[in-house]
Amino acid sequence: MAAPVPPGASRPGDNTSPPAPNYNPNFRGFPDSLADNMQNLNLNRPPMTSNLAARPPPFGQSPAFPSSSPSPGIPGPSPPFSRPGPPPVAQLRPSVPGYGPPSSTLPLNFVPGRPTGPPTSQPMFLGSRPRPSTLLSSTGSPAAPTSGGPYPGSSLPTHPIGPPLLTPGAHPNTLTSTPLSAPQVMPPSGSSGNVMSNGPPVFSSGALSARPQFPPINSASQPPVGPNVVRTPPGPALQSQLPSSGAPQGTMPPLGSPFGVPSWRMQPQQVAPPPVPGPTQTSQMFGMPPPLPNQSMTTTISPAVGQTGAPMAGPSKIDPNQIPRPTPSSSVILHETRQGNQATIPPPATSDYIVRDTGNCSPRYMRCTINQIPFSADLLVTSGMQLALLVQPLALPHPSEEPIQVVDFGESGPVRCSRCKAYINPFMKFVDQGRRFICNFCGFTDETPRDYHCNLGPDGRRRDADERPELCRGTVEFVATKEFMVREPMPAAYFFLIDVSMNAVQTGATAAACSAISQVITDLPEGPRTMVGVATFDSTIHFYNLKRALQQPLMLIVPDVQDVYTPLETDVIVPLAECRQHLELLLESIPSMFHNNMTSESAFGAAIEAAFLAMKGSGGKLLVFQSVLPSLGIGALSAREAEGRTNTSAGEKEAHKLLQPADKAFKEMAIEFAEYQVCVDVFLTTQTYVDIASISVIPRTTGGQVYYYYPFSALSDTAKLYNDLRWNITRPQGFEAVMRVRCSQGIQVQEYYGNFCKRIPTDVDLAGIDCDKTFMVTLKHDDKLQDGSECAFQCALLYTTLFGQRRIRVITLSLPVTSMLSNLFRAADLDTQFCCFLKQAASEIPSKPLLQVREQVTNLCINALFSYRKFCATVSSSGQLILPEALKLLPLYTLALSKSIGLRNEGRIDERSFWINYVSSLSTPLAIPLVYPRMVAIHDLDSKEDHNSVIPSFLPLSSEHISNEGIYLLENGHDCSIYIGDSVSSDILQRLFGVATVDEIPTPFVLQQFDNPLSKKLNEVVNEIRQQRCSYLRLKLCKKGDPSGMSFFSYMVEDKSTGGFSYVEFLIHVHRQIQHKMTA
Amino acid sequence: MAEFLDLEAQDGVRMPWNVIPGTKQEAINCVVPVSAIYTPIKHFPNMPVLPYSPLRCRTCRAILNPFCMVDFAAKIWICPFCFQRNHFPPHYASISDENLPAELFPQYTTIEYETPGEVASIPPVFMFVVDTCIIEEEMAFLKSALSQAIELLPDNSLVGLITFGTFVHVHELGFGQIAKTYVFKGSKDVTKDQLLEQMSFFARKPKPSAGVIAGARDGLSSESIARFLLPASECEFTFNSVLEELQKDPWAVPADQRPTRCTSTALSIAASLLGACVPGSGARIMAFVGGPATEGPAPIVTKSLSESIRSHKDLDKDSVPHYHKCVKFYEGLSKQLVHQGHVLDLFACALDQVGIAELKTAVERTGGLVVLAESFGHLVFKDSLKRVFQSGDFDLGLSSNGIFEVNCSKDIKVEGIIGPCASLEKKGPLCSDVVVGQGGTSAWKMCGLDKATSLCLFFDIVRKESPDATVQSTSNQFYFQFMTYYQNNSGQMRFRVTTLSRRWVAGPGSIQELTAGFDQEAAVIVMARQVSFKMETEAEFDPIRWLDKALINLCSRFGDYQKDSLSSFSLSPRLAIFPQFLFHLRRSQFVQVFNNSPDETAYFRMILNRENVANSVVMVQPSLISYSFHSGPEPALLDVAAIAADRILLLDSFFTVVIFHGSTIAQWRKGGYHHQPEHQAFAQLLQAPHDDADLIIKERFPVPRLVVCDQYGSQARFLLAKLNPSATYNSDAAVPGGDIIFTDDVSFEVFLDHLKRLVVQ
Repeated sequence: MAAPVPPGASRPGDNTSPPAPNYNPNFRGFPDSLADNMQNLNLNRPPMTSNLAARPPPFGQSPAFPSSSPSPGIPGPSPPFSRPGPPPVAQLRPSVPGYGPPSSTLPLNFVPGRPTGPPTSQPMFLGSRPRPSTLLSSTGSPAAPTSGGPYPGSSLPTHPIGPPLLTPGAHPNTLTSTPLSAPQVMPPSGSSGNVMSNGPPVFSSGALSARPQFPPINSASQPPVGPNVVRTPPGPALQSQLPSSGAPQGTMPPLGSPFGVPSWRMQPQQVAPPPVPGPTQTSQMFGMPPPLPNQSMTTTISPAVGQTGAPMAGPSKIDPNQIPRPTPSSSVILHETRQGNQATIPPPATSDYIVRDTGNCSPRYMRCTINQIPFSADLLVTSGMQLALLVQPLALPHPSEEPIQVVDFGESGPVRCSRCKAYINPFMKFVDQGRRFICNFCGFTDETPRDYHCNLGPDGRRRDADERPELCRGTVEFVATKEFMVREPMPAAYFFLIDVSMNAVQTGATAAACSAISQVITDLPEGPRTMVGVATFDSTIHFYNLKRALQQPLMLIVPDVQDVYTPLETDVIVPLAECRQHLELLLESIPSMFHNNMTSESAFGAAIEAAFLAMKGSGGKLLVFQSVLPSLGIGALSAREAEGRTNTSAGEKEAHKLLQPADKAFKEMAIEFAEYQVCVDVFLTTQTYVDIASISVIPRTTGGQVYYYYPFSALSDTAKLYNDLRWNITRPQGFEAVMRVRCSQGIQVQEYYGNFCKRIPTDVDLAGIDCDKTFMVTLKHDDKLQDGSECAFQCALLYTTLFGQRRIRVITLSLPVTSMLSNLFRAADLDTQFCCFLKQAASEIPSKPLLQVREQVTNLCINALFSYRKFCATVSSSGQLILPEALKLLPLYTLALSKSIGLRNEGRIDERSFWINYVSSLSTPLAIPLVYPRMVAIHDLDSKEDHNSVIPSFLPLSSEHISNEGIYLLENGHDCSIYIGDSVSSDILQRLFGVATVDEIPTPFVLQQFDNPLSKKLNEVVNEIRQQRCSYLRLKLCKKGDPSGMSFFSYMVEDKSTGGFSYVEFLIHVHRQIQHKMTA
Repeated sequence: MAEFLDLEAQDGVRMPWNVIPGTKQEAINCVVPVSAIYTPIKHFPNMPVLPYSPLRCRTCRAILNPFCMVDFAAKIWICPFCFQRNHFPPHYASISDENLPAELFPQYTTIEYETPGEVASIPPVFMFVVDTCIIEEEMAFLKSALSQAIELLPDNSLVGLITFGTFVHVHELGFGQIAKTYVFKGSKDVTKDQLLEQMSFFARKPKPSAGVIAGARDGLSSESIARFLLPASECEFTFNSVLEELQKDPWAVPADQRPTRCTSTALSIAASLLGACVPGSGARIMAFVGGPATEGPAPIVTKSLSESIRSHKDLDKDSVPHYHKCVKFYEGLSKQLVHQGHVLDLFACALDQVGIAELKTAVERTGGLVVLAESFGHLVFKDSLKRVFQSGDFDLGLSSNGIFEVNCSKDIKVEGIIGPCASLEKKGPLCSDVVVGQGGTSAWKMCGLDKATSLCLFFDIVRKESPDATVQSTSNQFYFQFMTYYQNNSGQMRFRVTTLSRRWVAGPGSIQELTAGFDQEAAVIVMARQVSFKMETEAEFDPIRWLDKALINLCSRFGDYQKDSLSSFSLSPRLAIFPQFLFHLRRSQFVQVFNNSPDETAYFRMILNRENVANSVVMVQPSLISYSFHSGPEPALLDVAAIAADRILLLDSFFTVVIFHGSTIAQWRKGGYHHQPEHQAFAQLLQAPHDDADLIIKERFPVPRLVVCDQYGSQARFLLAKLNPSATYNSDAAVPGGDIIFTDDVSFEVFLDHLKRLVVQ
């Protein structure tokens, strides 16, 4: 049941709720019990006691065991489970509904919690797994396999990962009795179909067989239902609020995996000679790749300017089509984190890959800028590269990946090094017959706890190493013992704070927020642990007593915005089950209650402080909907943007000051919030300057997030607000978390970057942490490492799940140490390195003049390339710009970064502040599109029959590729622009927008679906993108010849602009700089 | 005595000296001060109401009255106070000996003017301020009492609601969609300006830049006022539903703590809100308090239960940290309320003290009502509240916005008033240097007043002994004029004038005349008010000594005796019962604070200070009526000897009414004889005191507590405590009624003996 582990999958509410309108970023529709079995979802699951019968099947119409009769007929995108793909894939898919109906009619031995042990008749493909069968069974699905024999479900124990099974030494018999000792046996080809099902449709069986040694992960246990099922067709609810939108956008979103992002993988073939295998091939280079000649790792741009050439002479000589550009990869990569006891180089973050954790953590959770660690600080400096980790501890796994195992050590807690407190991991070396172990972080030798003792095998490993997840997996989760709790795990408390000032009400922001909340609360688990509260504010703060005993909610106004307080000790935040009716009633009436509100002031700071006081006891999530500049009470702000503009001389000189928080008030509040585990998310539905620089301090410090809707339009942004909110509260997340990264001796953590509060130097406190939040951890040498040894990094995240379990997620990565500079370049991780550039630049913008930041970014790029040129490139044709293969796109991305919103001179202050803030917690896969967005042509969508991907291949960001007859869509993971040329045929306009001329397209623009293939395809594309990005992108319409068109062209980073060089010019610039350095 | 009652029936005035000692020295020798107890808006069935404005003297602003000399031919009248000759205005042209205006009729010394069209623009306002830190049971009682009250309100009267506990909740009754309240922190005092700002009174229009912001006339929109103050007819439903959902203060109270109750903040907010919305018009803050204030600017005690609420002893030792702060706070509040013309009524229902002692100034200066009961479920509270809103025979005649002014002859000055009013600080030649109570002025504000409100005015006779005292005979009359401008309960503005004339005497032969004019009931009440006032204001004051000295001096001046002959001592009938009154005054709750909490003492004194002479006398010396088969109901001596086994006694001590059954009667009653037809007479005997008690209860405010008890029963203490202990456990003589009092107090006989001995020495 690997059921689809879609983002935030199946929540109890999902099954019963009406299909949500529009796109839902989270996938729904799985019976919880199934999802429960999937450990990769465990963070949000209650203890495995879930009652199957209690959860109705989401899609009851499906046959109980469709797997036995493959339904190849899932044609096209229409059926809810289907995802456009080749028929063989469909074979698998029906299995989902198979275990969907948990009704008694199912002949399944669903005995949650009772380990029935694997029957000996286990289908053979189970044997292919190198894991103990008990573990397997834990993830086993009754409905699993398609090709895998007769109803395996009935024989497979469906026991969810039971702690007893995982308890060290618990069931030795079971373990040994299973004939699973042969590792890595390839399953029969029949099962390859399974694999395919997980991947994107492109995935062909041919590709699979090409890597026979790769076992199909989860083939049996995790039927690849994946995200497909999750999609529910959008319901009418939201649309009714948007009557003008007519045909709903995304009525039938194509069902695709959010993971199946067929994004850009480097295709070395496109690069200038010599054609070398790019990183794409890493999955084929299992084991230690043979050392490659430097050349093979290099991209050269041949006819470049000569050393003495005229600066401008160059461009003409460079063929713009020959310069490095990202290209989409079309297939899923299967990645094993270690092979032959060697760390493998992970696939690019932006590619679509499936990870098998064979000792190192999945790169989704933690990845390093360089996959080999320089043995000394000098070597690192010489390389010109940076050493940092990007950690995304709760990242969404691919649905086909094996779930993270939960290990319960009982009373004694997880085994740890007694000196440095590092957690047990596969790289701790057991010695002395297993009686002692050596810590891979501090080198200390510890006694093995008596009940954890196990003899060593002939290979020096513990005999039980493969059965114990903590000894064979890079990522495990430990059940936290009492010593990790200062109090009982907190309840999941959600407090919604809504701006009802005049502006908010009149722009429809209040109504949009209320409607979004109202819909979203149906997705919250209705347990006693789910607490909800609502407050509104203008110049005063209005709390609502939602106690059930009252006939109707009672509004309690806190008028003193200088010295706020919570008006009630209890009853402001009440268990959801007790206040649902009141809450719905209230949310419905808030917009009308404040319909005539004439108060234009907003006491934002006081309101969040008051809400905090109400939540102080438990902690929880505070979701604030704010529409205007906070003008009153605690933390009141002034319209300093305008002041900056009028006082230009001062404004010019210290422009970046406006990107700093106005005062310390918010920072102090935020630290207090974090201390009491209150995580704040701010939804800015505004049409004016709201000083994001100041406001964002609070979400940043409390592990929250800023959402920005500018200029807010009730028509076009209501759906986005709803989807953002829904994803915000339904995505996998944790509360009251603490995170620490440990490194092997010789390396230490220098600094953490991200959204958190830091009180002591070693740890970061996270009032809230979710699957999207990423931290950058910069590293530094404090000693020389030994060449040939391994250097380990361990991130430990202690957090409370939505269901009140205290867990420690331990993510361990062990990388080889090298003294060879060339190894460093070969092992460089472009996406990660660039992400570091981006985050560092963003963090410096508010404190340094822009010019300096841009220069710094360029220099970082130049330094790395210079180092490569100087020390690694043997062939040195002075006229050539030589790029290391792994970093060949670095100049392009650097150029794009220097032209990005945050580093531009022009642009609104808020927009830039938001950009800075957005970047601070941005994950690696989203970092690249943010600066180098994806652009596709949509006017000819229907003409291209590309079966591989919904999204057509994308275009370079250069105006050369934009024609006046075309319509283009550009997305950066956050926003989406549709550009319409001025000579587009009216037929296309009619088909896509229902109007004959460009001018007739209404603003604000709402994408509609019309009954023609082109329009349907466009909607499919948009929905596919939204799904991939886990974000409901704002659609903006750009027309040629008006300001919106200009803004579209500002994304054309390869063009020469006022902001800087064209791509070719930039390459020349870089080349020249390197040459200067060479000669200097 | 009867003539004094007649005078009261005509003018509502009782004076201890109806013949006034004519010189300063004489007045001092008379011991009991020259004073008057005046009931400004006493109900007179026959009093004319004149539909025009009064005529005033050009110089002293006195009103034309029956004591003026009128020259009909010249159309001139002479003011008796300043002797100014005033011309009648043209519309008095037809005046003649036969055609007098009513104000010149000799019998109309008290008369009322009503200028037509002068009606208050704002109907009466009631702001309910309700304590929620009370147990559920009390809450239920209070809710039902309040919802009854709102039904009784006139439809047009404006109603507001504030509840308080840890926080102050100002309910916006005018918000239709859901129940809405403004919540203020209990620990923080809010100024009026902050209040206006925070309750978004300026949401629709900009705040006026300068000047006083108050009411619809000065800067506030009437819609914004109507959010909080609504006509009773419109908001009854909302009010009731808010009441229905009103809950006990939800903040948890640790076991060793009192609830957090911010009475002072709530009252301050109520005052500021009214001050902002309806300044100057008749509005009452009706506070329902169920326990001690522990939070805010004026807590009477800390939250910790380990600290006990202050007692008289603590106050005497000055060991109560909050006391002075509280008193100061409430003085400030009373100033604010007086300035706004608003009344604070206090309904304190708790077994604990709630802080009446501290609140006293605010209630008294504004002329508010005060009711103290043990519980919101008690009849004393429930019936009293009903009485406040009741119309009909026994309505209180609640009026508002009163201004009281005094005019008197040249040789008299005004020292001040002890009673429910506040000085307007109108200084003038009339004001004496000596200040008693609210003094230093000739005008007082009476924010709230009713038919029973009685003020005690103290006068200073400044006329010096002159050598030609014998030849003075031009006028031996003193004139007094009391003027009350007020808004009656139907919203009309009235002006009542009472003009008095009293003869003064001086010189050696005056004792007889003075005695003849001595009103001992009025005298004892003046003494009672004065001694209470001194106890509250003078440090180290010994009331017993002061009263004894006064009594001895009075008796030695006015008694007949030969030196050192005890038996020769006698008093004129005019003074005969004065010693007895003082004996009971010494024993009364006004002087004996032992066994009473400061709250109770404050309560008793507040009632004393607003009641008329007859009711006050009952407080000092309760009336006792005996019922038996042998005779009809007859007054009995307030003595333990009045108790008899076959008698029923009805004791009226104003605050309590006790029906006491002698032991035989009690046995019969227990035997149920009164249910048997052959014992109808007994049934009637039993019923008679109840009927009389009902009569008393019906017309009294606050409603007294009715105690029905039997001889030797525990409740009998309510009677025994008031009786003269002529038979105690020390007495040798046989006890006639079979009851004794366990006390060491002296009996009246012993007291009188001592008095005689001291007088004749």
